[in-house]
Amino acid sequence: MIELMDAQPVIPVRGSVLGRMLRYIRPHAKTLGAAFALLIMATGSDVLGPILIKTFIDRYLIPRQFPWRPVAMLAGAYLALQAAASVLNLSQLILFQKVALKVIQQLRIDVFGKVQKLGLSFFDRTPTGMLISRVTNDTEAIKDMYVSVMSTFVQNVVLLFGIFISMFILNVRLALFCVVLAPLVYGVMSVYRRFSSRIFHLARHRLSLLNAKLNESLQGMYIVQAMRQEERLRSEFAHINMAYRAARLRNIKFNSLLLRPLMDVLYLFALILVLGFFGVHSLSGAVDIGVLYAFVSYLDRFFEPVNAMMQRLNSFQQAMVSSQRVFQLLDEEDYAPGKEGGNHPLIKDGLVRFENVSFSYDGQSDVLKDISFTAQPGQTVALVGHTGSGKSSIANLLLRFYKPKRGRITIDDVNIHEYEDEELRRRVGLVLQDPFIFVGDVLSNIRLGDSHISDADIVKAAEFVQAHTFIDKLPRRYREPLGERGATLSSGQRQLLAFARTMARAPRVLVLDEATASVDTETEEAIQNALQNMRRGRTTIAIAHRLSTIQDADLILVIHHGEIVERGTHQELLALEGLYHKMFLLQQGTERGPSE
Amino acid sequence: MRVFLDLMWYFKSKKWRYIFAVATLVAVALLALIPPQIVGFTINAIHHHTLTQGQLLEWLLIIAGAALFSYGFRYVWRWLLFGAAIDLSTTLRERLFHHFTQMSPQFYQTKRVGDLMAHATNDIQAVEQTAMEGILTLVDSITTGTVVISTMAITISWQLTIVALLPMPVMAFATSRYGKILHHRFDKAQAAFSDLNDRVQENLSGVRVIKAFGQEEIEIGEFIALSQDVVNKNYAVAKIDALFDPTIQIIVGVSYFLSVAVGAYFVAHGRLSIGGLTTFTMYLGQLIWPMLAFGWLFNIVERGHASYDRIQTLFAIKPDIVDHPGATASPISGDIEYNVVRFNYPGVMRATLADLQFTVRRGQTLGVVGRTGSGKTTLLRLLLREFDIEGGHIAIGGVSIDAAKKETLRAAIAYVPQDHFLFSATIAENIAFARPRASQNDIERAARIAGVHDDIVRFPDGYATVVGERGVTLSGGQKQRISIARALLLDAEILILDDSLSAVDARTEAHILDSLRQERTGRTTLIASHRLSAIQHANLIVVLDGGKVAERGAHVDLMQRDGLYAAMYQRQQLEELVEEGGMRA
Repeated sequence: MIELMDAQPVIPVRGSVLGRMLRYIRPHAKTLGAAFALLIMATGSDVLGPILIKTFIDRYLIPRQFPWRPVAMLAGAYLALQAAASVLNLSQLILFQKVALKVIQQLRIDVFGKVQKLGLSFFDRTPTGMLISRVTNDTEAIKDMYVSVMSTFVQNVVLLFGIFISMFILNVRLALFCVVLAPLVYGVMSVYRRFSSRIFHLARHRLSLLNAKLNESLQGMYIVQAMRQEERLRSEFAHINMAYRAARLRNIKFNSLLLRPLMDVLYLFALILVLGFFGVHSLSGAVDIGVLYAFVSYLDRFFEPVNAMMQRLNSFQQAMVSSQRVFQLLDEEDYAPGKEGGNHPLIKDGLVRFENVSFSYDGQSDVLKDISFTAQPGQTVALVGHTGSGKSSIANLLLRFYKPKRGRITIDDVNIHEYEDEELRRRVGLVLQDPFIFVGDVLSNIRLGDSHISDADIVKAAEFVQAHTFIDKLPRRYREPLGERGATLSSGQRQLLAFARTMARAPRVLVLDEATASVDTETEEAIQNALQNMRRGRTTIAIAHRLSTIQDADLILVIHHGEIVERGTHQELLALEGLYHKMFLLQQGTERGPSE
Repeated sequence: MRVFLDLMWYFKSKKWRYIFAVATLVAVALLALIPPQIVGFTINAIHHHTLTQGQLLEWLLIIAGAALFSYGFRYVWRWLLFGAAIDLSTTLRERLFHHFTQMSPQFYQTKRVGDLMAHATNDIQAVEQTAMEGILTLVDSITTGTVVISTMAITISWQLTIVALLPMPVMAFATSRYGKILHHRFDKAQAAFSDLNDRVQENLSGVRVIKAFGQEEIEIGEFIALSQDVVNKNYAVAKIDALFDPTIQIIVGVSYFLSVAVGAYFVAHGRLSIGGLTTFTMYLGQLIWPMLAFGWLFNIVERGHASYDRIQTLFAIKPDIVDHPGATASPISGDIEYNVVRFNYPGVMRATLADLQFTVRRGQTLGVVGRTGSGKTTLLRLLLREFDIEGGHIAIGGVSIDAAKKETLRAAIAYVPQDHFLFSATIAENIAFARPRASQNDIERAARIAGVHDDIVRFPDGYATVVGERGVTLSGGQKQRISIARALLLDAEILILDDSLSAVDARTEAHILDSLRQERTGRTTLIASHRLSAIQHANLIVVLDGGKVAERGAHVDLMQRDGLYAAMYQRQQLEELVEEGGMRA
């Protein structure tokens, strides 16, 4: 995934990000507790190893006495502990991973569920690509964080504790010396984190500039070439490229100064400390060589976890940025308008009324001004007007995708905001301009997950809209799988399928958003027939692009700049010789077609 | 490993840097041999009670010295090796960009920008990783491996070395086997993730349908099922992934056990000192990382190889519009003569243009009209030589455009494309795009002719306002006029406007056309337009239909003919009325 959006400002979210992330862990407290217990046991078995070897060296090897039984016991214990550590480690690793995966799943479900509840106004201003990224890629980055925090940090901190405890068991004074390592390492780590985050972000920022430049250049290459600016562009790109290089080199230098090489120095100085301690003590008395051996082993182990943690710091920071974005989305409050009030009205007749409705998408300029009309049950009201006149906004309001700014919309004399979502969605059927086909078969595309609709209902609906004829000819008929966006169907067939989808729900009110795409004559006839059938006995609000299809409407509203400028039947409007008349002439011209 | 050979040109070009890096790596490996030896000496001295204060101090100082030197060397090799890898990616990126600037529009029509971006970022990154981690692992595994193993075998005991290394093949076998299973399961997990991704994409694209049919809950239900699948597949990955550490742990444990057990036997028989045994186990610890890293190496190299191949494939594409041998560099001007018998885009059977013959006199204006897809844009782009014409030719001032240098040809033409592309820069920089050194006066003059000056000064930062994704959003008409200003600043012999006034209102259009006529006397202008008002004044109007000239002549002639053009004209008059709300009737 190429990150171009790094330049987006990150808006602080409610509460601390870390705290909110921890809250996701809470339901898994039991599993985590078990994993933690296993981890402690595994680490315990692990760090006991050098102690056993120490016992062997001091008790048997130095005196050169190898009583068979105790030595075999010791060897057996060592191998058993290693095996136990290994099995316990395996189990705890799997458990921790499981929790991390579950946590991310919950987070994903929450984000996705949240997005489903947001209103169309939110989708209008948010690019789809960005939303997809929030639900999938950003949560994936957070997964890294849970995994690194839970696996790397928790485990390694426990291991460090284990090592220190063992050291204390072996020799308290030396262990006290070694404990100095902890704040030292912690100090290096926090210095590293402080500065590396700056350098890391600088590099990332320059990378996103580089990518942006590249992306823009590739898209505008034809302009660049037509205007002979290739040379200049190359040098500009080279400049950014070098700036990125410089940031990377700084990162490398910095890492080399503070990461592994420095840890190695710390290790060797710890070794000097241990050797010196034993050496000095040996000058004045006896020391246990086995203890020295064990301390050297522990020091060897000590820096593995430290290095592992240092390497994870950067991915930790990336995850924090991602989680901030995700929580920001979870805090979004631009919900889809929902049911208001405590009544449970039902839609029976389908009497639709707009009363002085005004609406604006951005809260400033009105796209609809004072719209009033009534569609009696069973009537067809057609909305005409050129692109951008506001026709579609009327449909959007009736479907409760947005809330009107002023005025009210009623169905059966009840404000649409008092209906349950389910009632409104079932009784008001939308047929979209560009029917959206989901991946799945014909049945599932008509049913759309509504389990109340039987297979027989689906066939009936398909027959009703004359989609049955073409479905029946598909190789697997109603079970025919439809690819992405229904690419295997013609646009006319897609429309018929969308009709069936709507009709299977037996709506009382139809909202038709007429297709502009041209279809072949045969399908066109089927579509027109189907539309006639569908409209019969149902209140229909039709958004028409072709006047020929709505000449029989009971009421035609001519919309211009968000206002109803003319209203009446086809004949009345023609007689008026106004805008409708012009549009009619224009379309007649098209249908004869000067250029056909 | 072939990718290392592929990259040999680079390694050779930085020969000394690499030699020096390898030398420092070897030095680090050698320095790392010292502390375990000293630990061994100390233990032996303690054991035999021969340790003196001076001796101890000396030994500890040697460790301290080794520590400081190896810190320095480690820093140096990182700097040398990682820096070289970063230089490699920087070079590759720059070359690739250079290559991109030479590719013709044909190339950009067949490739997706997203894919090209992926090559320039992900693939180059993978190659960089190969040159960074790959080389490091290769060199380090080999040097550390050889140096440590031979030291163990020579200075301590070769028999013990063999015994201690016995379990290691098991580790290599186990990890490579896990690696294979992991790879397989990882692919499945990725597939599940991409299913989830597709699902989210479908859901968000179809959000209106989902809301209209009240499908939100059902969608959430299906999403939960899919996310469960992702969890399951990833859990399968985690189960294998979790095997690595414990397996390594137990094998290393066994290896230590064998060393200590057999070593103790040797100690008991006087063939090895206790100090020697300690040194040995410390060396064994040093071997674990190279062993593990070697398994990683194949992974890195495999990725790097695939990526490098993809980059090479891109580099192998030759620029298809090149200067012919002996191409002239003398300035181009004069009548434009189109003589195109047939032109089709590469890989397209149907001719986009056919039987096109007409001449535009120097200083005149040509209007090109026709429906969408009739070939207007193609006709104009051919003049820029974005594509080579097989059947026919285009000449300017009697010189075929093929016979001129591309540079010279394009210097004579100022082009305003249909999709007004602006760069993320200030408005002034965008207008001065082709003449970066243009004075503010010149920029403003061009903006005035293009009728956008008044709009620009109304922005908070005026000409310094940044446009594009990170700046202000301009209206389509503003963008169009800025791209016209950009072309006008060139003051070129030929100006091409490809439907560049479509988003401008009628009054502004009239103003722009008026000023163009005044400014461009004596020079040629080619205008393609949907709206006839933009070309009404042209000396010659060519009406295209299906790639052929349907009608030609001046506006008056064409109106008299009462054919295609006249019908289009009347229709547009009516359309205008409708757009204005029919109030003018």
